Amino acid sequence: MKEFSATINGSPVTARDGMTILEVARENGIDIPTLCYSPELTLTGACRICVVEVEGSRTLVGSCHTPIAPGMVIQTHSPRVLDARRVTMELLLASHPEVCIVCDKANMCDLRKIAADLDVGLPRFRLPKHYFPMEDVSPYITRDMSKCIQCWKCVKACSEIAKKNVYGIAYRGFKSKVVVDFDDQPMDKEVCRDCGICIPFCPTGALCKPSPVRQAKTARPLVITGTAQQ
Amino acid sequence: MPEKRIVLRNCGVLDPKDISTYLEKDGFKAWQKARTELSPEQLIAEIKASGLRGRGGAGFPCGLKWELTSKAPGDEKYVVCNADEGEVGTFKDRYILENDPFTLIEGLAIAGYAIGARKGYIYLRAEYHYLLDLLTGAINQARDRGLLEQFDIEIRQGAGAYICGEESALMDSIEGKRGEARYKPPFPPSRGLWQRPTVINNVETLMNIPQIILNGCNWFSQMGTERSKGTKVFSVSGDVQRPAVYELVMGSPLRELVEGLARAKAGRFIQIGGATGRIVPYEMIDTPMDFEHILGAGSIIVFDQSRDIVDIVRRTMEFLAEESCGKCTPCRQGTRVMVGILDKFAHGQGEERDIRSLEELSSAMMLSSLCGLGQAAPIPVVDSLQRFRSDYEARIRKN
Ligand SMILES: Cc1cc2nc3c(=O)[nH]c(=O)nc-3n(C[C@H](O)[C@H](O)[C@H](O)COP(=O)(O)O)c2cc1C
Ligand code: FES
Repeated sequence: MKEFSATINGSPVTARDGMTILEVARENGIDIPTLCYSPELTLTGACRICVVEVEGSRTLVGSCHTPIAPGMVIQTHSPRVLDARRVTMELLLASHPEVCIVCDKANMCDLRKIAADLDVGLPRFRLPKHYFPMEDVSPYITRDMSKCIQCWKCVKACSEIAKKNVYGIAYRGFKSKVVVDFDDQPMDKEVCRDCGICIPFCPTGALCKPSPVRQAKTARPLVITGTAQQ
Repeated sequence: MPEKRIVLRNCGVLDPKDISTYLEKDGFKAWQKARTELSPEQLIAEIKASGLRGRGGAGFPCGLKWELTSKAPGDEKYVVCNADEGEVGTFKDRYILENDPFTLIEGLAIAGYAIGARKGYIYLRAEYHYLLDLLTGAINQARDRGLLEQFDIEIRQGAGAYICGEESALMDSIEGKRGEARYKPPFPPSRGLWQRPTVINNVETLMNIPQIILNGCNWFSQMGTERSKGTKVFSVSGDVQRPAVYELVMGSPLRELVEGLARAKAGRFIQIGGATGRIVPYEMIDTPMDFEHILGAGSIIVFDQSRDIVDIVRRTMEFLAEESCGKCTPCRQGTRVMVGILDKFAHGQGEERDIRSLEELSSAMMLSSLCGLGQAAPIPVVDSLQRFRSDYEARIRKN
């Protein structure tokens, strides 16, 4: 395989034909955040959190899907890049429910981790929150589409790894949504069997395993009793 | 400067239902000439030398696109005619299809010969369904006369999505998928329809091909400006007395079109290039219409003094938010945020910081959106904030 050199953040790097900017950056210990990318899935290029600056390019480019080229000069953390990533993160958080404190994935959530890395707190933009009823009928998976950020990794994991096509994408624009089957039914016992392959791919709390903890919680709601009044 | 009808030369002259009226003129002579006198390489060289650039909005050099596709490895290649014409205020392709489907078919067949494609598609906008019979009839007549040897043309209909005019979403749609922008590269000339090398051209681009072949590249490149050759077909509408389709040599002043032909009386601002196009104050009426200045797909909407620019921008953004495919974050979420902010201004409830939010959001969307829709969606906001800022400031809530 042909090797060539490029420059990332001022340092020379060696790349091989067919590699993306992201792959080369990570190989060199430079971390670029990603939400819709996974090395196990085909590329999507949807979330735009991985954008980087390439000298000579009019726009920023998605590092997860853009092939690196000989002599390319790349900035992965310039002010322009960080500004754009922050806006993207704030746009995602603007419609995300503010329920982190009671979310099963609160401490393992990629969205929250990347937001923290980018120093994003309360978003400066306003969007309606998505509210969808919790889908917790299936014994294998719990879906809370209010938390979905549309990375589509579940859609791809289901079709590409599990070789099922339980998920699809419906509607458009701000209304677009990952749906079950073609007619936007809540996930039930019939459509999805016990494979759970999609769950670890979810960067938010939208997909979870129905855990014993959750069942216990449902049975016995958590009540916080204060002492101040006594 | 009068109209110069090259692309439209047969409109209103031919019977679009009868190919013999086309053949009596110079119909399919260019196709014959191309196949008997020119190799595909010579043909592509001719188009390159003519300086023809794409008429669908982006102005990519047509000959170069063909050359890239012809050189790309692959035994199956495609030519696609983009007849989605979804841009707000454009109706030139419709006028062409209604009046002269034959030149388009000839142009498509020549493109097929140039790049070695055996199959061509016409992607027809859903709202142009009524043209399906006319187009099918024209294709069948050409086929019956032996004019489509080794080249088949199929019509695919859209389902009413603006995004499907964007070339990668268009290809997804032809493939039977949900129309969504793809990441680029790869570009269609290397991996397009079904991952095969593909040329996608706008209707008007293809309409120019037969004339270039018949009259030579020098004839064509004499017309227009340094970097914009030939003519351009414009769709003029809005507050004008004669809204219609007009064809002018590239580089003609906007005034010629708007006042000379369409008979506008002084307006306030003009939107050039549709929903994602530029908004210019009427005072810029002497701007030349070419790729060096402002052009887009050639839609010109004139707004008079009675129109409210903030409301027009708000409605434009509503359209874009509705038409965003929803795949990438900046476009899906950003257009919706903008609608919310513009709504506030339209109701006199804007805040100082909203203007800053619009500007910061615009710049991020332009830089990081996946396709041309999200990248260009902020243009009406940016232009109006720059030129008509006081209209926004007047709608800031006072308390
Ligand atoms: C959102 C969007 C909508 C578009 N709609 C159209 C359209 O309706 N018709 C068209 O010819 N090109 C449209 N384009 C441009 C196409 O992507 C493509 O550049 C064009 O068809 C190429 O043909 P040309 O080189 O002959 O201009 C659109 C682009 C974007 C980003
Ligand atoms: S990780 Fe690259 S676009 Fe989502």
